[in-house]
Amino acid sequence: MAIGELTLTLLLPLPGALLIACIPGDRNQLIRRIAILFSLFTLLFSWSLLGKFDPAAGLQFAEVHDWNSRLGSSFALGVDGFSFPMILLATLLCFVAVLASAGITERCKGYYVLIMLLESAMLGVFMAQDWALFYLFWEMTLIPLFFLIDRWGGQQRQTASLNFVLYTMGGSVFMLLSLLVVFDAIPNHSFAMSNFLAGAKALPQPTQVLIFLGFLIGFGVKMPIFPIHGWLPLAHVQAPSPVSILLSGILLKMGSYGLLRAAEMLPMAVVQLQSLLVVLAFVSLIYGGLLAWRQSDLKAMIAYSSISHMGVVLLGIATLNLAGLTGALTQMVAHGLVAGALFLLIGLLYERTHTREVTHYSSLVQTMPRFAFFTTLAFIGAVGMPGTAGFIAELHTLIGGFSRWGWIMVLLTVGVLISAAYAIRTVGFLFTGPVRSEMQSVPDLQRHEMFAAGLLCVGIILIGVMPAQVLNLFHHSASRFSAVFSGM
Amino acid sequence: MSDLWFGLIPLLPLSAFVWIGLGILFGFCRGEAGEKPTSLIALLFNLAALVLLLTFTLFSLQGRLPARLELFDWLHSGTVNIAVSFSTDRVSLLLASLVSVIAFLTMRFSIHYMHREAGYPRFFMILSLFHSAMLLIFLGGNAALVFTGWELAGISSFLLIGYAFQRNTAVINANRAFITNRIGDAGFILSMFLCIVWLGDLEWQTITTKAADLDTFQATLIASGFVIAALAKSAAVPFSPWIARALEGPTPSSAVFYGSLMVHAGVFLIIRLEPVLLQSPPLLYLLGMIGVLTALYGFLSGLVQSDIKSALIFSTTAQVGLMLLLCSLGWFTAASWYLAAHAAWRAFQFLSAPAVLNLISRPARPVPARLQRMHRLYTAALHRFWLDNMADSIFVRSTQKLAAEMKTFDEKIIVPLVSLPAQTGAISSLAQWEHRKESYFNIAQQYIGRGAGVLGKLMERIAGGLHWFEERMVLRSGSQELLQVIKRVGAYLQHADLLLSRPRYLWLLILATFVVIL
Repeated sequence: MAIGELTLTLLLPLPGALLIACIPGDRNQLIRRIAILFSLFTLLFSWSLLGKFDPAAGLQFAEVHDWNSRLGSSFALGVDGFSFPMILLATLLCFVAVLASAGITERCKGYYVLIMLLESAMLGVFMAQDWALFYLFWEMTLIPLFFLIDRWGGQQRQTASLNFVLYTMGGSVFMLLSLLVVFDAIPNHSFAMSNFLAGAKALPQPTQVLIFLGFLIGFGVKMPIFPIHGWLPLAHVQAPSPVSILLSGILLKMGSYGLLRAAEMLPMAVVQLQSLLVVLAFVSLIYGGLLAWRQSDLKAMIAYSSISHMGVVLLGIATLNLAGLTGALTQMVAHGLVAGALFLLIGLLYERTHTREVTHYSSLVQTMPRFAFFTTLAFIGAVGMPGTAGFIAELHTLIGGFSRWGWIMVLLTVGVLISAAYAIRTVGFLFTGPVRSEMQSVPDLQRHEMFAAGLLCVGIILIGVMPAQVLNLFHHSASRFSAVFSGM
Repeated sequence: MSDLWFGLIPLLPLSAFVWIGLGILFGFCRGEAGEKPTSLIALLFNLAALVLLLTFTLFSLQGRLPARLELFDWLHSGTVNIAVSFSTDRVSLLLASLVSVIAFLTMRFSIHYMHREAGYPRFFMILSLFHSAMLLIFLGGNAALVFTGWELAGISSFLLIGYAFQRNTAVINANRAFITNRIGDAGFILSMFLCIVWLGDLEWQTITTKAADLDTFQATLIASGFVIAALAKSAAVPFSPWIARALEGPTPSSAVFYGSLMVHAGVFLIIRLEPVLLQSPPLLYLLGMIGVLTALYGFLSGLVQSDIKSALIFSTTAQVGLMLLLCSLGWFTAASWYLAAHAAWRAFQFLSAPAVLNLISRPARPVPARLQRMHRLYTAALHRFWLDNMADSIFVRSTQKLAAEMKTFDEKIIVPLVSLPAQTGAISSLAQWEHRKESYFNIAQQYIGRGAGVLGKLMERIAGGLHWFEERMVLRSGSQELLQVIKRVGAYLQHADLLLSRPRYLWLLILATFVVIL
């Protein structure tokens, strides 16, 4: 049995976890180095696949191994234009998160083992080409995350982790129900995604709508969509910063990725529910933005801004046309980079000052010029200024939405305006104003921290200035997706 | 090839301007040591332009030069095409040569006159710019190019009147002159627009040849814009007061600007537009009246002046009025001769004025006895016919009042509406700064989630409502109460489980099962 590239990428973090598990727990530095090394391996290996990836083709690097043939499930991996950028993003953010974990000094061993397991599970979600396998990886991400938040989180970590698991499991139940209904309805009983894709289209419309609603709840919890986002503020705020990076950078993307897969499968239902999706998207967009504006806690602000940004993703998906979908996919990458960078930087700040209240800061530009530079850049990216990745995403979504709904898209610009309001206010509070004596001795970013922040900021700028390469990665899958809906 | 050489003529003084400007910027023209290279550059470039100009004039006199040279396209928009073109007829060339000669002499004069003045290179820089602008006015082949020169001349006169910018009067007078000239510029722009609409072109040649096709109304409208521009530039009657204020600049610049060159630019424009003006008899009558009024105004005001420069400038105004009268009578050629002779003579007078004051021993002649007897006219002449006051009360004060009202509107309505900071943050004492710093941190606490202005308040209200919803519905009912419900259900189930494990309920259950089966 030959091991394919994807299996290798998927399994690469695991030996790291194993190795760390074998080392005595008091050797923090060694454990950290091993974790960095293995996440770097995974990063380099996954990015080396970029050379082999053909943007003009559909599913690639596919491998299928029998798993449980009586049930119809198989160990099937593969990537296309939707999932491959997500894998690149995931390995990058995992590496950054490990780099940013220098502040974790207690129970270091368990922490890094869980992070490595989480990386593997997240990659599995994006690679799976079989719904049973997808569901398995989906649930597997929960276990390390639960412990990571529960053991290394802030003061309310127990409530936060329990809440997170309850919400996600609650959503997963609906997803599982929908999966089983489809599995039951299609002729040859198999969980393969291609099989689902072919079979589910033939279902009658009311059934499709019910199934899609199940998926919408399941993935909407993760994404998150407006009424079912209750876990997010608490979890993001309470989680340790590196875990917040992974949560907002990748975990949220799993939701939108799953929604894309479900939408592809059930086109009739999506067309039927299109207006619902749009309303939810706009509500999330404005709601998240306004609440972010009201937060004085920096992490809570970024958490709510994530809801707002993921609203743009949902909006892009709901347009069901090429431009909107391209916008949604770009926004997934852009938000991964921006939210990752912001959580990273704010986490590093918190390690130094132990306060997240924005009003406790003032005039940091004098003591932490490098921090100020990267943070301002990240906030500019969050607003979606031209020249950053967010702009490309919002522009495409705007174009796609405008051709579908016209002037209603003004609400998107309102959302952007609100994001500018809180981003600029935060930059103002952090870096300008009178000098504070207690902020005089805060050390600036160290080299490895600058490297981590620089990686993400370069990504934000690079996509903003030269979007063609990234858009090219999505293009084939996105046009295949939109072609399904063009006749409807 | 020769065309491009012609294009060099206005460019040469302009390069002197750029060169000296760079010199001031980088320090190689500064101070007393910089006087020599500065004046040398200015004179050399001026001389080069003059030589080129004279060569071309010679060609022209021999008939070897067409009346119009077109170098290349400058602007192209829709059907409108504006070229860089020059009119090279004899009048233009001869007058331009005269301009260059006077400019050269003035510069030569200034080398000593301005010696050890602060801003020596600045003076030569602006003089070079002015020279270039005048060449563009006299040689430009189309209205757009002439307008460029027209504006550059306005700017350089503004800069030279405000040469001693440390003095308040100099600044006020510079502003006044510039703004008065802008009224004329508005007329110029309007006429250019009408030319584009009705004639489709801005070339003087097209305008003058096609003028015959225009009806009186169109011709009057086109010509009146240009005439307003000319009257403003030449300081004819309603616009006259600026030229007396312009004497604030150094004497050599007064000589070139007001005495001899710029004041004639307006008359030259009118001469150039001869065919258009001839299409519009009413405008010619008006022009004649203005000419007479200007001449009388200059004559009477000049009589009562007590200093030499003012007397000269009012005399200039009177002569310009006569030139306008000549034009209105149709004697355009006579007007151009008059212009040339007057320019040369007046330049001499202005430049020798400082020396004359040293040479004369007898007191200045008194005001003629007849004027002394006519008290009213005498007062009017002394007050320069209240033209400045009229302009003040009609335009300046009403504009000021309007601006004050606008400011009130802005402060009372717009600022609270969009919530701009009403005052600037100037701080006068350290105690104030300490106080502000204290209050900054206090205010910062309350600032989050607060909006200002109408939209900000709206945003604050909506965000407040959403916050309530989030706290009450999503976080508390959704998450915490969910946990409560789960705990409660768990307790019930545990209770039920306990009961079921009791023997009596077990028996009951088994019995019930049997009943169902049977």
